[in-house]
Amino acid sequence: MTDTTRRGFITGCSAAVAAYAGTRFNTVAFGDPGSDNEDILVVVFLRGGIDGLNLVVPIAGADRGHYVDARPDIAVPVNGSNAALGLNSQFGFHSATDTWPNGTPTPPATLYDLYQDGRLSVIVAAGMHEDNRSHFDSMAFMELGTPGSLTTADGWLTRHLASASNLPPEIVMPALAVGNLQQASLRGSTEAVNMTSPDSFSLNIGPYQWRDAQRVALRNLYGKTSSWLHQAGSETLDAVDIIELNSDDDYSPANGAVYPGGSFGNHLQTLARMIKLDLGLQVATIDFGGWDTHNGQGDDGGGYFSAHVQELARGLAAFYTDLDGNGAQDYTRRLTLVVESEFGRRLVQNADRGTDHGHGNVMMVLSGNALGGVHGSWPGLANGQLFDGADLEVTTDYRRVLSEILIRRMCNNNLGEVFPGYGGYSPLGIVAGNDLPPIYGPDIFSNGFESGDTSAW
Amino acid sequence: MSGSAQSARSAWSRRNLLQIGGFSTPAHAMRRPGAPQAASKGLPDLPTGGVVALNRMAFGPRPGDIAAFNALGATDSARLAAYVAQQLAPDSIPDTELEQRLNDAAFESVGVSNNPDIYLATLWDWYINDNNPTGNTDSSRPRDELTRATFLRAMYSERQLTEVLTDFWLNHFNVYINHSSFVRTTYPHLDLIIRQNQLGNFRTLLEAVTQSTAMLYYLDNYTSSNAGPNENFSRELFELHTLGSENYLGVMPQSDVPTDGEGRPIGYVDADVFESTRCFTGWSFSFGIDGDGDTGLFYYRPEWHDRFQKNVLGEFIPNDQVALKDGRDVLDALASHPGTGRHIARKLCRRLIADVPPQNVVDAAAAVFTDQWQASDQLKQVIETILLSPEFLGTWGEKVKRPFEVAASALRAAGADFTLRMNDSDTNSFLWRYDDTGQELFNWPAPNGFPDVRGAWARMTPRVMSWRLCNWLIDFDDDNGNFYLDVIGQTPGSVRSANELADFWINRILGRPMSPQDRDEIVDFMAQGINPDFDLNLQDEDTSTRLRAMVGLLLMAPDFLWR
Repeated sequence: MTDTTRRGFITGCSAAVAAYAGTRFNTVAFGDPGSDNEDILVVVFLRGGIDGLNLVVPIAGADRGHYVDARPDIAVPVNGSNAALGLNSQFGFHSATDTWPNGTPTPPATLYDLYQDGRLSVIVAAGMHEDNRSHFDSMAFMELGTPGSLTTADGWLTRHLASASNLPPEIVMPALAVGNLQQASLRGSTEAVNMTSPDSFSLNIGPYQWRDAQRVALRNLYGKTSSWLHQAGSETLDAVDIIELNSDDDYSPANGAVYPGGSFGNHLQTLARMIKLDLGLQVATIDFGGWDTHNGQGDDGGGYFSAHVQELARGLAAFYTDLDGNGAQDYTRRLTLVVESEFGRRLVQNADRGTDHGHGNVMMVLSGNALGGVHGSWPGLANGQLFDGADLEVTTDYRRVLSEILIRRMCNNNLGEVFPGYGGYSPLGIVAGNDLPPIYGPDIFSNGFESGDTSAW
Repeated sequence: MSGSAQSARSAWSRRNLLQIGGFSTPAHAMRRPGAPQAASKGLPDLPTGGVVALNRMAFGPRPGDIAAFNALGATDSARLAAYVAQQLAPDSIPDTELEQRLNDAAFESVGVSNNPDIYLATLWDWYINDNNPTGNTDSSRPRDELTRATFLRAMYSERQLTEVLTDFWLNHFNVYINHSSFVRTTYPHLDLIIRQNQLGNFRTLLEAVTQSTAMLYYLDNYTSSNAGPNENFSRELFELHTLGSENYLGVMPQSDVPTDGEGRPIGYVDADVFESTRCFTGWSFSFGIDGDGDTGLFYYRPEWHDRFQKNVLGEFIPNDQVALKDGRDVLDALASHPGTGRHIARKLCRRLIADVPPQNVVDAAAAVFTDQWQASDQLKQVIETILLSPEFLGTWGEKVKRPFEVAASALRAAGADFTLRMNDSDTNSFLWRYDDTGQELFNWPAPNGFPDVRGAWARMTPRVMSWRLCNWLIDFDDDNGNFYLDVIGQTPGSVRSANELADFWINRILGRPMSPQDRDEIVDFMAQGINPDFDLNLQDEDTSTRLRAMVGLLLMAPDFLWR
């Protein structure tokens, strides 16, 4: 940290941040090792609707036949260099989950390796029961945690933070949304930090001799009243204080992890970096777009979709590798990462060798506490087994997967508050942890959580 | 030293002392997980009509704009009526400064022709078929030139409402410019047809966009055929371009959809999307197959069209209609449906008034939209209805400027002399910083366009990056050390004390006074402990730098961000 930054910090920061800084300056680490609130939940949202049937592929039985018949060009093969990699006797993983581009170093572990190590659990035919094939409605339903309602004021992660009973009264940075915009799952959150990279998340710009005085004045201008705009500005200034204070080191990933180029890899690396700062992070979100493959998604397990899956898989594997370690340095023991997407894609390929909007889809959970394996009841691909005669049916409500993580990893059993209207939860056995009885009440909609706010995500 | 100056100075000292001791008033944020959001309070006072109009139907005031607005009449409503009338007749407004700057910038692909077909064919010939006489054949060229021209128009055009509405419609009919070289090349044609129709008829605009190469390619309709229909375009046609998801009833049989008083289905279901997809099969463009000429223009492929009967939105579409009629019937049904009027009226009101707009204005605008759906000036009437509603002048502080509005309004308010051009390192530095804000122009990947609600833009990344951009702009200079925002040169010689400097630049940047306590912050910053009535020496570099930093502070202040 430069002197200017330190001075700017000390003159500009708020009381709570200053209190935190005191502990940092005395090298007292945040968090109490062994306490039950040190898990970190990361939600990766694949925007556009990933083609789950080509990510986790039927490789045997009658459904293999239905799948190949429906996708004569784009089916992922079971033989040859693009052959799906066995997850169990019924399903195979797209081969790009075990590859890396020529010229990049061999990674310590691929995503398929992590599956084989039991660190990745896969859930098939998951999603929402809503009859809706709109990207934007479906994303909002999923992220707000209220399928069928677009007008919920808070995202499900916001309600998780509000209802968890095991959090300390003050946390420096409980929530982080990595990317240009904050995800709807954190809608209504006043505490979420939103950024792309700590390197540019700074006010170290403008005439240097007046930066500190500007900072003081800026804080006063935003601190005067509590309108939504003033509040957002003050929160941003707090976040800048924290990030500037902590991000003075050049970061290099641990354990030989190599992130893929592009914003997804960069954002994962930003997140790993922030996790290692021990700021008390509880939840984080990352987006990865480009999955709306209506056209030319790639034949025979190759092409665009394959390259995109490789970027996804390399990113997730690098992130896990980067966080791996021993003892207190082993962040994977605190990590639960869930991958979700708004819907799956049509079973039948279209004439452009792509796929249109569908229904049921794959979810994945990557965690040092994962139990591994493939989960969920498979509805089948025969005509009569499809949703609307066209799409993979949903047999596992996505909230069931998230609820298991909330209960077993985050120790929050207030499902009625996080997912109002959801009931009948039972664990699938995706992650290890203690089962607490779910609490479905009180009904959140009778308690003023729903507002007339019709803001888009 | 006057009494007020004394108290201002001591207040500054006390504040700083407290902060250095770490006892400033605690700001909210972080720390308390799950703390509920505070109710909206502390909203700003309603400013004068000129401030409202120039910040919501323009990209902020330039020097002299508010005085010019005030000269238009005796009351704010009379001034607004006159201003709206001017802005709704853009061709009658001289635009010499913009024209001069566009001329200076010498873009090769901007304004090549006002005939959309000629423009599109030229772009295609130059950047896809590589026949550009200048030798520039990369599709990044039309994209980069349009980006620069769009900034120049927002900054310097007197036809400000035209620029605001073009931005609106380009997001309503969003096409991701970096989807492909085809889209990068043809996007300026989409910009042109929107400009030519946005005060005209929606049905005409809708067909022009539906037939635009950028849209046909982005949403895959160009290869949709009887043998293999692709529903991507039709879904967004219903969900985003016309009826909106508010009128989407999901997956159910068409026969189960309730009808309105005129026997029309109240909304649409997936089957309507599928049937519409069949209607648009064969709507393609010429890209060099089957002897189509490879012109890049809209091209109907009758052999790809599904000739059998269809049923869309309760309308029977018979088999073997004449070319294009199936698709045109769908566009007619959509454009005349009251649900489309409500959806688009709400979006326009959201852009021009508030995130959650007053329902009575939405209803009034929707009624005009639907009643006048065949009128040649339908959209002009809709816009006029919204802008002349009492709620337009009576609403303030419900929206936040998005980064493009921050950048354009900062450059306008500070009287920037900055012609963005190609191959210019200063232009590139500016855009490189601007793009970090999260609103890189035309660069929203999904078909729904950039969000238009404060929930998306009041958050941290847009905030920090916009602050950084504004505070960088006051230092932004050319190779000879001339500032693009000439703060010192624009400060009159009679304005020299901290009080005077603050008041001059507050009025200049905001067009209105600040609250006394906010003004104190600005004065304190400029005075730095000196009597704020004493003249400061702007020849002194430290002082002149401080004045620039004071303007930077104003551009970062909350008062600059309200709409």
